[in-house]
Amino acid sequence: MQPTHIAEYLAPIILFLPLAAAVVIALFVRDDDEQSAQFSIGSVGLAFVASVTLFLLGGGRHEIGATWLDVGGLQVSFGLLIDDLSLLMLMIVTGVGLLVQIFSKGYMKGDPGYSRYFAFLSLFTFSMLGIVLADNLVMMFVFWELVGLSSYLLISFWFHKPSAADAGKKAFLTNRVGDFGFLFGILLVWAATGTLNIGELATKLAVDPHLLGAGATCAGLLLFCGAIGKSAQFPLHVWLPDAMEGPTPVSALIHAATMVAAGVYMLCRLFFLLTPDALEVIAVIGAVTSFLAALMAFQQNDIKRILAYSTLSQLGYMVMAVGIGSPNAAMYHLTTHAFFKAMLFLGAGSVIHALHHEQDIWKMGGLKSRLPGTYRTFWIGTMALCGVWPFAGFFSKDAILSSALGNGAYCAFLIGTLVAAMTAFYMTRLVLVAFGGVPRGDGVFGCHESPSVMTRPLWLLAIPSVIAGFWGIDVYLAETLPGGHGHASTWYEAMFAPINHSPLAAMFGLLAVAFGHAFARRLYANAVSDPLPLSAGLLAKIMRDRFYFDEIYAFLIRISQGALSTVADWFDRWIIAGLFVRGVSGFTDLFGRALRMLQTGNLQTYAFWLAAGIVVILFLTLPGAKGAGH
Amino acid sequence: MNAGLLLLEYAVIGLALLVVALDLFCHDSDRRRQIGLVASGCLAAICAYSFLIHPEGSAFGGAYVMDPLALWFKRFFLLTGVIVMVVSTEYAKQFETGVSEYYVLQLFALTGMLFAASANHFMLLFVALELMTVTFYVLVGYMRQRVSSLEAGVKYLVLAAMSSAFLIYGIALVYGVSGTMDFTQLGNRLQADHDLTGNVVLRLGMLLLFLGLAFKLAAFPVQIWAPDVYEGAPTPTTAFLAAGSKAVGVVLLLRLMGQAAYEFALGSEKLLMIVAGLTILYGSLCALPQRNLKRMLGYSSIASAGYLLMGFAAMSASGSVAILYYMAGYLFSVLGAFAVVAVVANRAGAADVGALAGLSRRNPLMAATLTMAMVSLAGIPPLAGFFGKFLIFKSVLEQGVNYGAYYYLVGVAIFGVIVSLYYYFNVIRAVYWSKDSADLTPIEISSPLRYTLWACIGGMLWLGLYPQVVLKSAAAATALLKLPSLN
Repeated sequence: MQPTHIAEYLAPIILFLPLAAAVVIALFVRDDDEQSAQFSIGSVGLAFVASVTLFLLGGGRHEIGATWLDVGGLQVSFGLLIDDLSLLMLMIVTGVGLLVQIFSKGYMKGDPGYSRYFAFLSLFTFSMLGIVLADNLVMMFVFWELVGLSSYLLISFWFHKPSAADAGKKAFLTNRVGDFGFLFGILLVWAATGTLNIGELATKLAVDPHLLGAGATCAGLLLFCGAIGKSAQFPLHVWLPDAMEGPTPVSALIHAATMVAAGVYMLCRLFFLLTPDALEVIAVIGAVTSFLAALMAFQQNDIKRILAYSTLSQLGYMVMAVGIGSPNAAMYHLTTHAFFKAMLFLGAGSVIHALHHEQDIWKMGGLKSRLPGTYRTFWIGTMALCGVWPFAGFFSKDAILSSALGNGAYCAFLIGTLVAAMTAFYMTRLVLVAFGGVPRGDGVFGCHESPSVMTRPLWLLAIPSVIAGFWGIDVYLAETLPGGHGHASTWYEAMFAPINHSPLAAMFGLLAVAFGHAFARRLYANAVSDPLPLSAGLLAKIMRDRFYFDEIYAFLIRISQGALSTVADWFDRWIIAGLFVRGVSGFTDLFGRALRMLQTGNLQTYAFWLAAGIVVILFLTLPGAKGAGH
Repeated sequence: MNAGLLLLEYAVIGLALLVVALDLFCHDSDRRRQIGLVASGCLAAICAYSFLIHPEGSAFGGAYVMDPLALWFKRFFLLTGVIVMVVSTEYAKQFETGVSEYYVLQLFALTGMLFAASANHFMLLFVALELMTVTFYVLVGYMRQRVSSLEAGVKYLVLAAMSSAFLIYGIALVYGVSGTMDFTQLGNRLQADHDLTGNVVLRLGMLLLFLGLAFKLAAFPVQIWAPDVYEGAPTPTTAFLAAGSKAVGVVLLLRLMGQAAYEFALGSEKLLMIVAGLTILYGSLCALPQRNLKRMLGYSSIASAGYLLMGFAAMSASGSVAILYYMAGYLFSVLGAFAVVAVVANRAGAADVGALAGLSRRNPLMAATLTMAMVSLAGIPPLAGFFGKFLIFKSVLEQGVNYGAYYYLVGVAIFGVIVSLYYYFNVIRAVYWSKDSADLTPIEISSPLRYTLWACIGGMLWLGLYPQVVLKSAAAATALLKLPSLN
């Protein structure tokens, strides 16, 4: 296919720019830190500019591709799909990616693996853009795995630290569990429909809704397995908190804004495949994740881990939104969340950087005056995350709550409201303990604000965190995804649209925030230690220990996998290696050695064997010879 | 008399005389060694010329024939001669005296091979064989200062003389019964008179003849000489024995079975199958514990004889095409391997597998050639050896429809291939992964040898990837045999 539209030229450029940067860094400028950063930032910057250009030029749906695999009945093309959905995601990935990379330039300064870091980051950007642009499931899966790989590389970036290396492994393996289901889902879809192209699938399903037959729910749920892994949903959520071992900007980009959102993005892309039954399961999983993660966040003391559980909780929110039939709201929340959660993580990074890698909030305190820029942006991010009007988070969260009400999913609405209150509680706790009060750690006294290369990205992210709510993202998405209710025409109308549209949802959401905030303020204003373990006792401990998921998994693995591996080890050692391999080879070898005895080196013996052989052959073959013996 | 047909033989004899003459003008041994290059060059020219001509006809009253089969093998022998001559030039540094005589003797052996390819008469067959074999007696024991070489020479002398005795006894018996020494006449008589086929004395003669030729192939039960002689002989001689001498056995057997004694051969599939199976097993199994490279290649050569005999046992046109193809692949593989072994063993003083340690760093080209030769000999795609074995197995399987025992033969052969993987890959492991390499100094080789190694690599790849050309020529060469075509 020859490209005809400008989008068809730009899309491959956007995709391959970061890969080119990764290759150039890895092969040529490995030893030059400055140039590595420039190549990486330059490529993602160009990709961002190209994405915005595409957006400004106006949408339309474009697809380009070339056949990549043609095996039997399976035809896989290397194709790129540009539509409203992928365009939005492109801008998020490149935009947030650009700011995070600029921030990293300051944050990673002096790290011995500086170039490697930027090469990995570029590789990640390439893989993530591949998921976003993929026009068929196989390609999406390939990039899905590449994202998993780059995530692994970046989590265990400081591989000399055992905890980081373990966390990387854990993330990779946990993701593999989900990916296994994803792959099965892809195979099931292919078996039932004969195509893997997303556009073709949608057309075929529109013509015949029963095309997938009895396996429809099953296929949908298997595909969802991929999202469970990548978007860290219950019960595979355990890897995400550990992934915080990676550098903080990585946590901001990959484990908050973009990669973990890939699962939600995939669900929105394939929303047409999901049956009502599958959606119900998805909603339940999302709700459970959202609620449990919020609970776990209550009692964490590590600044990054609180944010990680908050991410889990918000991802659960998005998945729940998909489950109640509103992918529009899910994508909306994904977008705003990308901005403010990236900013919160970068803010946390700025704090950690200033305090020389101190992450315990109880050893902070009084940072308000010492890190003013970081504090202000962190405050904006908190407002946005909690969902305070008119910050961005309010609008997207309200979109989810109101569609829950609208679709009659009252349970989801209740949990959503509850989680909103809990979010307000733990975020207020974080801000009050870390930034308010008096300094409680030695590191606080000598600290000073991070350099501008780090604070500027924070401010740049603060802008969309404030105003993304009335940009009309929901209206923009309403054309591609069901579940939107955007109809406001001006930004002013948009600001009040939620309140006019569904006052009940807006009221509940705001009340929940107020309640959670007030409760946290009572407990934590000027607190020097956490009062909750005293009052809540056992419950607080369970929350702090994350409901013992890791321990339960470790136990399960020990009894199942441990037993299995013992049996397999025995089988391999004695049956395969012993009987088959060593037995057969030993016997053969022995036989060879025995035969070699013939080869004595003695000429007389040789002459004897030669003659004897000839005589035996003659005796066996000549019919008369046997007769003559009688 | 049609003497023009013998142009290639004349050229090689002339070259041999030229080498003797040149020797008179060279006064130091280094200059003498260089004569090998001249000889290689001239031989290469003769070889190239042989690819341009297509003579047909017969001479000496039908005793000498020039047909596609003869021409195919003459090209084969000349190519072998060129490579062996280049390796000899490299190897000749070891000889204290008699450098140019070594070249001359090789050229005489080559002449014997060229005549054998055209033999259509028992007299010429015997004379050509003896020309080659007697020369080899000297060539094997050429390193007079080295006991192992002398020992190998004596062993070869005694055992080959024994086999020649059986051979000529067989010839005598066949002549006694049939009254002719000419292959064509023998074929006609056997066809005309069915009683002759059943004659026990004739059968005895034919069997002795077969065993005498099987000696050249190194097939069971007359394989016993191969490992010792391969190990003790100077490496270029070993290479010449492995490729050239074996091919002489092949071409003469083809001619006898396909033309002279076809009616007789028809009844002996079972014998051929048993001999082939035992040869494969013997070669593969004995090679397993072998640490000496030349000895290992000796056993491998026995196993190869077994695969070739499988092609004979198939008794079909596709079987004979497969034999020729196998030989072509074998030429490049085995000569490439011996070329490397010649240089390495020369350096290390022993042809032990351990001497290969670190070869990948000492000389990557030699490491690559040896690796590819081993892979090819093991029969792994995409190299020549794979396609040769594949064709042979295929031709045997085609016959399985008529006679179930062929399937067992393939089973045995596959077992042999699997076993052989072990010892071939042992060599590759030593080349690339061996830890105990004391000596890492680079090995320098002369540029003619380098080109030769490249040619061997090219040949292995070419035959493995584009089999068409050689397949076509092999089919044309074997078209005149009386073997039935199955498809």
